Amino acid sequence: MTTTIIKDFCKGCGFCIANCPKKVYDLSNEMNKKGYRLPRPVRIEDCTECGLCDMYCPDFAILLEKTKKKEKSKEKEGR
Amino acid sequence: MSSGVKPGRYFVQGDEAIAEGALAAGCRFFAGYPITPSSETSEAMARRLPEVGGVCLQMEDELASIHCIGAAAVAGMKAMTISSGPGISLKLEGLGWGIKNEIPYVVVDVQRAGPSNGVATRVAQGDLYTVRYGSAGGNASLIALSPKSTQEAFDLTIECFNLAEIFRCPVFLLTDETVGHTRELLVIPEESELKIVKRFKPTVPPEKFSMYPLETPEVIRHPFPSIGEGYGICVSPYTHNSKGYASTAQDVQEKMAKRLVYKVTAHLDMLTRVENQMMADAEYAVVAYGGDARPALAAVEMARAQGLKVGFFRPVIVWPFPDGEVLKVAEKVKKILVCELNIDGQLVREVERASKGKAEVYHFGSGGVEPHLPSQIFNELRRLFK
Amino acid sequence: MSTVGDTLNLIHPLVAKYLRRERMPHMACPGCGIGQVVHATLMAVDELGLTPQDTVWVQGVGCSSRITYSTWVGDNVDAHHGRMFAVATGLKMSRPDMNFICFTGDGDCGAIGGNHFIHACRRNLDVTAILFNNGIYGMTGGQVAPTSPLGAVTTTTPYGNIEDPFDMCKMAVAAGASYVARWRSTDFRQIANSVKKGVQTKGLAFIEVLLQCPTNFGRYVLKTSNPQEVVKWIKQQTVSIKDAEKLSPEEKKGKILYGEFLHQTDRPGIVERYQQLLKQHQKE
Repeated sequence: MTTTIIKDFCKGCGFCIANCPKKVYDLSNEMNKKGYRLPRPVRIEDCTECGLCDMYCPDFAILLEKTKKKEKSKEKEGR
Repeated sequence: MSSGVKPGRYFVQGDEAIAEGALAAGCRFFAGYPITPSSETSEAMARRLPEVGGVCLQMEDELASIHCIGAAAVAGMKAMTISSGPGISLKLEGLGWGIKNEIPYVVVDVQRAGPSNGVATRVAQGDLYTVRYGSAGGNASLIALSPKSTQEAFDLTIECFNLAEIFRCPVFLLTDETVGHTRELLVIPEESELKIVKRFKPTVPPEKFSMYPLETPEVIRHPFPSIGEGYGICVSPYTHNSKGYASTAQDVQEKMAKRLVYKVTAHLDMLTRVENQMMADAEYAVVAYGGDARPALAAVEMARAQGLKVGFFRPVIVWPFPDGEVLKVAEKVKKILVCELNIDGQLVREVERASKGKAEVYHFGSGGVEPHLPSQIFNELRRLFK
Repeated sequence: MSTVGDTLNLIHPLVAKYLRRERMPHMACPGCGIGQVVHATLMAVDELGLTPQDTVWVQGVGCSSRITYSTWVGDNVDAHHGRMFAVATGLKMSRPDMNFICFTGDGDCGAIGGNHFIHACRRNLDVTAILFNNGIYGMTGGQVAPTSPLGAVTTTTPYGNIEDPFDMCKMAVAAGASYVARWRSTDFRQIANSVKKGVQTKGLAFIEVLLQCPTNFGRYVLKTSNPQEVVKWIKQQTVSIKDAEKLSPEEKKGKILYGEFLHQTDRPGIVERYQQLLKQHQKE
């Protein structure tokens, strides 16, 4: 899974950090133009692609690109 | 779309003539709330609109009606509502939405004795300033027409709808209980004789279209796209830019205010309609409008029969006020008697202002309930103009 | 590689499809629940296949409306405070073929707009209304709302609110709406499903969402501006309809129920009845 934080949409509310079941996100030291401290996905390898961060974000600032499910379905076909 | 009205001669009340005029103009949406002395129009619309495929709703209150018709106009309909003094007061904020977003629709005020609930079933003329200045915030130039008879109630209602489309704004038909409830002849002409202005639609694609032409404040016949036409329209109560996006910028507020005022004031030639009778050699003039007009005209005829050189002047389009025409009268005559059915003086103030001191202006006011009798006006004339 | 990226080249798929790029990010405060509900609404719009050509967003005045107005890429009709339902009536009766998703707030719907709300439900007007209930007047700076809890300290109830809050879902049911539900802002899937059900149900769909206002409700009433804390507090006040069945009256006291209260598909509304009236009486 790739997740990208859209810098200038983020308002630093912290929902993604607080609600990711796998604690993928953490607060970074980077600030956007408005002075909000941005989150950063730091444990992406633990991501289960639940999509909660995307839905929790009130500002459409999280872009997800699912990769694992495609691989999983390929595995199923292989059996 | 056919007019929905049948040509012919009818014996109806002014209120019913308003309904027929609206239908003839292409009105296919009406929302109102019963209030004397306007309910006859609402009842007529309730019978007639479904016959022509239109929508007629009795809403839960006055405010719902004006917001509802504004929305219907945004959805592409020619729409109308009607009320009397207390209801017009309630509608004023909603009127602001129509003004701000340049929405064409018609509001009819059948004036009655006031203030407050007053005498529900009896005439007065207390709303001249309400319709022009009542909606808070200023920065607009309202248009209002006032009929003196059942026939004019029909004709001017059509004119109101036409002006609403041309100037893309709410237009008032300012009438009163006397005209509304007088039953007399109405002649509905052949459809080919009706002059109806259709809604102007954009001829350029959305990215090139300016929903609110703030950069060209004086332009009229500006298109008004509806919902569902692919223009992604934005309608809002807030000050907004040409696209409709809310703005707090000073220059946007300035441009918007100028747009809403200048689009009317730059075209006063199209918005001047008055009636002059026996003015050619007049030394005195009587001014009246609406339900007080014909008594005043009768009084002038009585005066003429006695050898007094009196003329009669009536504004038909009352807002914008016909300053130029009143000045012409003031420059001609020595004294002007303004008759109206209020004590505080509204029409008289406008006549005084527009006269620029060229003639003496006198007020013959009354609290209402009855229009003036011709003899009352004639006696006042004799007293003043010795 | 997981990154933090510049806005210019990146866009959320729902924003790309349904929102005006130049209006983003929308004007909600950090952590405000409105964005989450808009997100869930767009999920519903997408799953239903609604388009900017056939769907209009309607709103009133308040945070509910300022944030949703001119955000949708199609037509946006923003009414005066409290008049959203009256405007929705005019729009729907003129264009019964179009879909209307209407946003309103606790003051817009429950205070100044109460009368229009009641009659829209009574008429079972065929639109989908989403109530953003944050328990306070956010846009104007934190005054008490008809939905503020008893005892809430706000800018106009500095000694604590002495009025009981208004249960607008109960009012919607009583007045005649066809679909009535209440969720919390973090019930994303349920909100999306409710919006879908609402659009597909003939008649008035009324979906109330209890959502966090960290800026005003949080600071004044809960003494915290942490959005997480406000969400947590909301969850503590609520119990699902299902779970409530197992609770005693004492346990249920003071709790706000959430879930689907009503879904009726056979109650006709003013839109279809008016079409029938025209069939009978239209002469041309």
